[in-house]
Amino acid sequence: MNNNKSLFVIALILIGLLVLSGSAFVVKETERAVLLRFGELVRTDYKPGLYFKIPLVHELRKFDARIQTVDSQPVRMLNSENKFMMVDSYAKFRIFDVGRFYVATRGDERNAVRLLAEQINNRLRNQFGVRDLHEVVSGQRDELMAEITKNLNETAQTDLGVEIVDVRVKRIDLPPEVSESVFQRMRAGRELEARDHRAKGAEASERVRANADRQRVVIESEAYRKAEELRGAGDAEAASIYANAYSKDPEFYRFSRSLTAYRESFKDKTDMLLVEPDSEFFRYLKDPGGK
Amino acid sequence: MAWNEPGGNNKDPWGGGNRNNDGPPDLDELLRKMQQKLNGLFGGKPSDSQGGSGNGGSFPWSLVLIVLAVVYGLWGFYQVEANESAVVLRLGKYHSTESSGLHWNPPLIDHVTKVNMTEVRTERTTGQMLTEDASIVDVVLQVQWHIDDAESFVLRVADPLKSLQEATDSALRHVVGSQTLNGVISQNRTQVAADTQVRLQEYLDLYITGIRVDVVNLTDAKAPREVQDAFDDVVRAREDEVRLQNEAQAYANQVIPVARGQAQRMLEEAEAYKSRVVASARGEAARFTALLKEYQLAPGVTRERMYLETVQDVMSNTSKVMVDVEGGNNMMYLPLDKLGQGSGTSAAQRQQVSPQVVDEISQRVINQLRTEAANTRRSREVR
Repeated sequence: MNNNKSLFVIALILIGLLVLSGSAFVVKETERAVLLRFGELVRTDYKPGLYFKIPLVHELRKFDARIQTVDSQPVRMLNSENKFMMVDSYAKFRIFDVGRFYVATRGDERNAVRLLAEQINNRLRNQFGVRDLHEVVSGQRDELMAEITKNLNETAQTDLGVEIVDVRVKRIDLPPEVSESVFQRMRAGRELEARDHRAKGAEASERVRANADRQRVVIESEAYRKAEELRGAGDAEAASIYANAYSKDPEFYRFSRSLTAYRESFKDKTDMLLVEPDSEFFRYLKDPGGK
Repeated sequence: MAWNEPGGNNKDPWGGGNRNNDGPPDLDELLRKMQQKLNGLFGGKPSDSQGGSGNGGSFPWSLVLIVLAVVYGLWGFYQVEANESAVVLRLGKYHSTESSGLHWNPPLIDHVTKVNMTEVRTERTTGQMLTEDASIVDVVLQVQWHIDDAESFVLRVADPLKSLQEATDSALRHVVGSQTLNGVISQNRTQVAADTQVRLQEYLDLYITGIRVDVVNLTDAKAPREVQDAFDDVVRAREDEVRLQNEAQAYANQVIPVARGQAQRMLEEAEAYKSRVVASARGEAARFTALLKEYQLAPGVTRERMYLETVQDVMSNTSKVMVDVEGGNNMMYLPLDKLGQGSGTSAAQRQQVSPQVVDEISQRVINQLRTEAANTRRSREVR
């Protein structure tokens, strides 16, 4: 009896909990929810909190309220130079009208992502098609992206009930043949630079060497000048000394110097003198009287 | 229970987002002890005992409720570590962000997400990208970041980590795309990192990720492998440039001192010459002056003496041929070529040749003189 009663109470509690679980639901800060009654929208304006629904009649669909990502696959695009490039972009969006979003995507978020990816790629294609590589890479990326974002918002907000927060190009890759031409150009540029450096080195080297050679010549010729001046000064001093001494008796100088000269001039056996015996020297050779 | 079994492993039906609500072990311990105590108070008694609860014999509702209430109460305890924050949703609505300590929130009503706020995490991105001058560069970038705003990190963005990766990729490529290749690989590396950091933070704030970027490091930026050779050659060329200059400088450093040395040598030699010339002039002058003094005392004799000495020296050191041509325009043949043969040849030859030649000459001269002259002529050859 007691046991039966308590069992019954426990069963009742469990059933109550089950019903509660089927009817009570919490909409979180991170969620958007729509309530459907037999497939048609009843309510979409849920703030975060606790709500109730009638089980089996109402169906609840929840969507992410946070900022989400559209990460599309890299797409081949032509630029204005008719060169292909692989463009990988992403977009950030947020559901702001969950009812419209539910209707547009038939409750499947992946549909929204696919649609957005297509639209983003179309817009990127249009924008990149009229720009060359340089403009795409280094040009007004910010302006370009802001324009695409704004443009996309106009349709996305009305059609999909989502707000596009941002569209960004992640990466732009060149196909192999284009890469190769870029590499060629880079190599050529480097070779130019290398040659320039070597030429500059040669130039600087030549300049330094020539300057050194010039200095050498200047130093040596200057030294020669000084040396000659010194020698001249020496010669002058010697001359004045000689003159001072010899001018005391020029005749005697002539005499004694001549003697020295004779002595210096004839001192080799190979020198041949033809002498006449009547010179002063042989005065006594023939005649002791010296007549 | 349908959901949320006690023990923390929170499997509630409105799942979504990451959860990490494992209560710390000491809490489990506490819970178990409490249960044991309760069992000691109530559960140990036989069901048909009189007393205590008063409604003996009937099902102990109060006891069950008390147990449930205690279990529920204990279940709501959780601990937030010093480096964590806990974001609390009450019935799905943001309620508060709790800092470290022991907290209690009603289970099933509140939903708690803990995030580590101080751990600095690293995001690394690598790849080839295009620069402003349409070149390709290989870049490795490291981003260090931490969660700055737990509420945003948990509630505002679907996948904060993926958002960070994508934003990093995009920001880096944007910045690199507005720099020249040389700028990226050498001069402006810090600038690239700084610009990337600013831009990345902008994106992260726009996507409300709650992430704060601490440091952006451009750990590597170099030319692609395909053109590395050409780049290396530029480095080598720079070294060559320096080397050539150094060699030239070395040459200059060698040549100029040597020239200076030679210049000094020339000067010294000139000085030496000057000293020599002046000294010999002084010497000769002094000698002359001394001689002159004596000469003036006895001019005739001195002059005679000097003359004779000199001629004697000259005569004794040379070859002589005495020729007496008095009263004769007689033809005299002197084979001067023969006589002079000795000159220019070696001394040994001279010694061999000279006597014969001189003999011969002397002989001829003597013969000639004898045959021709009335008075006696002699020729003599002295060696």
